[in-house]
Amino acid sequence: MKKKMRVLATVFALSMALTTLSACGSKDDAKSSNADDPNAKDTITALLPPVSANFQSNFDQMAKDFNAKYPNLTLKIEPASWEDMTQKLDTQVNAGSPPDIAFIGSDGISKYVDSGMVMDISDTVTDEMIKDYDPAPLEYMKNGKGLYGFPAYMEAHAIGGNKEFMEKAGIDYKKVQKEGWTFDEFREAIKKGVVSENGKTSRYGFVFATAGVTSKDYLGILVKSAGMPAAFNKDLKYAYTSKNFLEVLKDIRVMIEDGSMPKELSSIDAGKRWNMFLTGQTMITGKGLAGFERSAKLNNEKLQNKDASAVKGSIPVDYVVLPVPAFAGAQAQASVAVDGYVTFRGTKEPTAAHKANVVKAANFLSSGANAATTNNELFVAQITESSRKAAESMTVDRDADNKAAVEAMLKTAVPARPDIPTDLGAKAIKLEDEVIVPKLQALIAGEITPEKMYDAVKSAAVQAFGDDGVVKD
Amino acid sequence: MTEYAKPIKRRKINSDAAWGYAFIAAALLIFVMFTAYPVVSALIISFQEYKPLGSKFIGFDNYTETFKDSLFWKAAVNTIIYTLLTVPVSLFLSFAVSVLILPFKKRMQTAFKAVYYLPAVASGVALSVVWLWIYDPMPEGIFNKITAFFGMGTHNWLGSSTYAMFSLVLMAWLSSHGTSIIIYLAALLGIDGSYYEAAELDGANFFQKLWYIVVPCLKPTTLFLLVTGVIGSFQVFQNAYLMTGGGPDNATTMVGLLIFNNAFKYFEFGKAAAQSLILAAIIAGISVIQFKFLGKDVEY
Repeated sequence: MKKKMRVLATVFALSMALTTLSACGSKDDAKSSNADDPNAKDTITALLPPVSANFQSNFDQMAKDFNAKYPNLTLKIEPASWEDMTQKLDTQVNAGSPPDIAFIGSDGISKYVDSGMVMDISDTVTDEMIKDYDPAPLEYMKNGKGLYGFPAYMEAHAIGGNKEFMEKAGIDYKKVQKEGWTFDEFREAIKKGVVSENGKTSRYGFVFATAGVTSKDYLGILVKSAGMPAAFNKDLKYAYTSKNFLEVLKDIRVMIEDGSMPKELSSIDAGKRWNMFLTGQTMITGKGLAGFERSAKLNNEKLQNKDASAVKGSIPVDYVVLPVPAFAGAQAQASVAVDGYVTFRGTKEPTAAHKANVVKAANFLSSGANAATTNNELFVAQITESSRKAAESMTVDRDADNKAAVEAMLKTAVPARPDIPTDLGAKAIKLEDEVIVPKLQALIAGEITPEKMYDAVKSAAVQAFGDDGVVKD
Repeated sequence: MTEYAKPIKRRKINSDAAWGYAFIAAALLIFVMFTAYPVVSALIISFQEYKPLGSKFIGFDNYTETFKDSLFWKAAVNTIIYTLLTVPVSLFLSFAVSVLILPFKKRMQTAFKAVYYLPAVASGVALSVVWLWIYDPMPEGIFNKITAFFGMGTHNWLGSSTYAMFSLVLMAWLSSHGTSIIIYLAALLGIDGSYYEAAELDGANFFQKLWYIVVPCLKPTTLFLLVTGVIGSFQVFQNAYLMTGGGPDNATTMVGLLIFNNAFKYFEFGKAAAQSLILAAIIAGISVIQFKFLGKDVEY
């Protein structure tokens, strides 16, 4: 009996140990194609967030369509929310077992290139695939000489106005949509949009989300129209030490001091400023994405139908897409966000067949009918020939002037900079997070002067890139 | 003379002991897997430039970089300020609430305990969203309405360096006392009634009983809550991450947030591991000091 108990106890303890340890085993092998046979069965995994309203509900259909096109392949899609997308992906990347494909912003590629976990597909993509994509967004998926996936869309970062308020303020918004505007013109326009009574402002001219990390967007969008399309110039010298940077900082302060922007701007997040826009507390808001026209329209419909889910206190709003003004006499350039299907690899070298299969899946997701449906839902432009063709039969209820304004902005889109080495890029991101964003928050809150912020950025840049590594003008 | 080998005396394990070992093995395995292994891994990673496809040994570089990093020291100072402002006040509030709840009947005590414990059950993220709403910077914000009513004007609570840290501290003061209240109340119920009777016979008033009986009797509990409170406060991350993101101008950047950023924003796991171990050493040092000075006459 005693012997039996000893055996039982040992078996129990060992099984506990094995169960726990087995959890650490790699699952990499299971999904990879075993041989280099292109017709062998294979599973491709994709981690995808809710890119558009109905995107995730189409996953089953997308997987079925993919399997119909490539009968030996299975597309296994794992849904993720926008909130936990980065964390989920980072955890998988650092554990050495990321999904084959993940939908992320192209600006995140350099981080993963540095960790060695993204898969360069430049040697696997076919000419036919490459020809399908517009060159400008495709460039954003490159880093150095490598291509790390396919773009889904290229979205211009604009600002958005309330048509009625702009007309009342005498602003020729159609002209602005076509020809753009300078900062001085913009400054005068937003002053006209302010409504105050007894020293209390009930409507501001311009409200941009700047709380926390959104301040990064604010500055990033403005500096691109101040002759600094990237953190580094063509000679790879750090650009934000230019005098134009100081001019932008001064302009940021002046809009608050004019009373055109609220003094509490540093605490206004994306949700708050959209609420302020829909409730008539601001004439112009930023950043503005194409899909905001759709959101405003939806809210208008709710108001018309007396639907209780309409934003509380909101008014009917006609959303007008506007370009960002040009600063310091520079040419306005549209900041763009290129998001796409980035290809990853595990710690084990992927086989050529598996790599080719991942490319097929990323191409399938980012082009043709899939891209057409998603981009139409988002009100963004199609960036592949195949999706443009597929979209011909689809109707989109979109304002023609807004569509033309976005297309005009995309023509001045800031080009991608795959030539910036990852180590320089990483240093610039850290400088941005640890110096620029905190100082910008203090500048917006009125705690430091533009000159003080400029000096702090310059000194940190010289420390990071050396005296010869920064722009001096 | 022939010597015979003595048979090895085997220690007999009876069935109860076997089961004991089995259960200890399970607990030990879980400890090794989820506590000891990550700590040892963190120690190894702290000497490396970590990369999933092959890390590089770089000696003490991560530690020297951390000690030279002015942001790390700013975050350390912020963390100390936050701890000094939150922990003692939280302890006092928990103690005061527990003393106020004590005279009630058991059912009422349970009701109060449940009410005070509720925030601990709610998601921290949900609580932060509510607080973000309370701290709305515009004049119609709840907190701004209150301050304006009392003639103190409106303020940019989370967006200015002057108020951001205070706003986080206030949030800590007004929430999450549930656990401390339950522990204090349990300790209060453990004080023998004869002490109070004797004090009453001697004519002691409420505050004298509190000072001469309750406070000394609760010293082990207070020490426990102080040590765990300081440890928790030094590791604070969620509030700064969700409410201010560490801003403005790094006024609310805590060490926990810095470690998170280095690990998950910049993938500098080596530096993050080094900073975690430095933080652990600081916490251990403070805990030793607390035990040395406050735990002299404490018996468990």
